[in-house]
Amino acid sequence: MWRWQLPTNEPDYRLMRRVALGEEEAVAELYDRFGPLVFKLSRQFLTNAAESEDAVQEIFVRLWKTADRFDPRKAKLVTWVMLITRRHLIDRIRKKTVRPKQQELGEHHGEIATDGPPASKIWLEERNQMLLQQLQTLPELQRTVIERAYFQGFTLREVSRQLDAPLGTVKSALSRGLLRLRERGDKEISAFH
Amino acid sequence: MTTYDQPDKKQLLELAVLDAHGLLEPLESDLFNSAFLDAPDSLQKEIQNIQEQLALDASLLPDDLPNASLRRRVLDAVAKAADDEANRLAPLALIGARAGASRHNQLSIGTSAWRAVAMVLFGVSVVLAAFAINAVDRANDITKYALNADVEQTMADLVGAEFGEFIRNPSAPAVGLERTNGDPTGYIRVAINERTGAGYVFAIDLKDGEEFIIQGTTPDGEVIELARITAGNTPVVARTFSVDVAIAGSLTYKGVNTEGNIAWS
Repeated sequence: MWRWQLPTNEPDYRLMRRVALGEEEAVAELYDRFGPLVFKLSRQFLTNAAESEDAVQEIFVRLWKTADRFDPRKAKLVTWVMLITRRHLIDRIRKKTVRPKQQELGEHHGEIATDGPPASKIWLEERNQMLLQQLQTLPELQRTVIERAYFQGFTLREVSRQLDAPLGTVKSALSRGLLRLRERGDKEISAFH
Repeated sequence: MTTYDQPDKKQLLELAVLDAHGLLEPLESDLFNSAFLDAPDSLQKEIQNIQEQLALDASLLPDDLPNASLRRRVLDAVAKAADDEANRLAPLALIGARAGASRHNQLSIGTSAWRAVAMVLFGVSVVLAAFAINAVDRANDITKYALNADVEQTMADLVGAEFGEFIRNPSAPAVGLERTNGDPTGYIRVAINERTGAGYVFAIDLKDGEEFIIQGTTPDGEVIELARITAGNTPVVARTFSVDVAIAGSLTYKGVNTEGNIAWS
């Protein structure tokens, strides 16, 4: 049961209502606030800048389409924007790639796929070296489920079947792995300052 | 029917991390949202903070910045999508479309109105989805907000006055059908008034030319044809039907396509 009224005076709610109506100024404000972050995440997932820029355009169209679903009682606007962004990028990877068969994955369990989907190539690029290094520090299960679910676009059920592990175990490993990556990323960043 | 238990705090926090990363399937996402709304305020705040931190975290992202021209291209892409949607819905609302609009110019009142109509119709589809998830007795503020009188009148104009008799009628609980192939396109809601046997099928955003029969199955296994749906040139299709009041509250529904296969359940 909803326990609060919709906060119609909340600035981000009002912004998204204007975005939903296609007001260019509102879309521009949304882009100015989140465009660079959306682009960076797209660059992490996709192979080149041109493809990332295409994805950013598609993501903002998707944000327009879903704008009236934004509910500030459930999430902050940045959470919503990045959720839509990540979903779009994962969908894009799922659509454009022929993913390795299960037995092939099994044979290369834990290895980095150099001939897999384009997203895998990010690991080979210098700008993602820090991410690669952080991934390698994770326990094998956490690293594997992040590689497959997050960067190769497999659903959690597919990963569960591939690894012959319960779905709950896969979810827990993925959740813990993502949190650990973030915590270690923070430490790494602070070490530079 | 599959049932889903409410997750505990640990599971909820795990789901929150996966949700923030866009890794939950639609049903799991619904489960998470439902559990979130039922969680204590302190846990809701904790979840919101975790998700916000994850969203803002750029520590492992590349340093690249977008080309300055991307901003203009994004604005043009959104404007084009909005114009396309307005044109797609133009025949529905029986309002003249603005012709020859320049995407770079200030929006005219007509275009803004079209976009508003488009979003209102889209909002209705979201509301109807919420009906299936939350059931009629959980009608909530957002539902009331979206289903204001104007929207009801617009929908009644499009699909007939029966819409208003079913949409918030506690005697006619709405049941949602989903495509059996997992394709999320479209919504179907079936409602039967358990006191009168009057029934209503409402479909939004079907695929062009899509045809199927809505069937009801009694607890004894008897299959009854309720309505035939053919997607035309409008994104909204509605049909009325009636059944014996004795079975009105006991039917399960499915949509069978022209090949005789179950396409919706």
